Amino acid sequence: MNDFSDAMSVATSGMKAQANRLRHVSENIANTDTPGFRRKIISFEEQVRLGQQTGSVTTGPLRLDQTDLARIYDPTHPLADDSGYFQGSNVNLLLEIADAREAQRSYEANLKMFDQVRQMSSALMDLLRK
Amino acid sequence: MYQSLELFQTAGDMARHAGARQAVVTRNIAHADTPGYRAQQIAPFQEVYGSAPASTLRQTRPGHLTTTPAQVAARPVATDSEPSPNGNTVSLEDELLASVAAAREHSRALAIYRHGMTVLRTALGRG
Repeated sequence: MNDFSDAMSVATSGMKAQANRLRHVSENIANTDTPGFRRKIISFEEQVRLGQQTGSVTTGPLRLDQTDLARIYDPTHPLADDSGYFQGSNVNLLLEIADAREAQRSYEANLKMFDQVRQMSSALMDLLRK
Repeated sequence: MYQSLELFQTAGDMARHAGARQAVVTRNIAHADTPGYRAQQIAPFQEVYGSAPASTLRQTRPGHLTTTPAQVAARPVATDSEPSPNGNTVSLEDELLASVAAAREHSRALAIYRHGMTVLRTALGRG
């Protein structure tokens, strides 16, 4: 029984982490056209509580992508400098979509595991019936 | 319930083993995107069964020391599959396969347990 509740909380932590990642992906996509916006990246790491690894997954610290911002030529833009260029964002839509798809797949896998564990524990409970 | 009967004990061990296996698979899947995570697995029940120390202290009086009943030794070991570029060795396909295997093992163990109960009931004439 302990194994089952552990497994359920680990699967839940996985779903939370993936949902968090998906939120950052949608922030990035929403800010594709924001001048000077740097892409946000988060990584996953193992959760440590009271100096011990719990086995759950959690999102690591937020980092900003340090690649160069895109230089866009538009002399009519309010932020354009003397040469007519302004700095856009460094969001790559293709990367974001791929990231979102991966997050979705991993979320589904976690959900499936949650369901599987729930079925196993309810089968165990069914032994008490009858 | 009927711990002293070998059949029920084995079925219980098997169900416990399946539960531990499922917990390991769940942890692997939760860490499917964690950089540097090494996938883990536990040995199948056929290998684990009987490997636990069988010699337990005999109890002739209620006050005597006892050892815990033979637990199935479930220890995660790192698998040796090819790591992805970020050092993660979890393969979702393998894990889903292992999860289905664990679920089947669990339901098999429960079926054995239930069948044993039916036999007992029949023997008692309450079938």
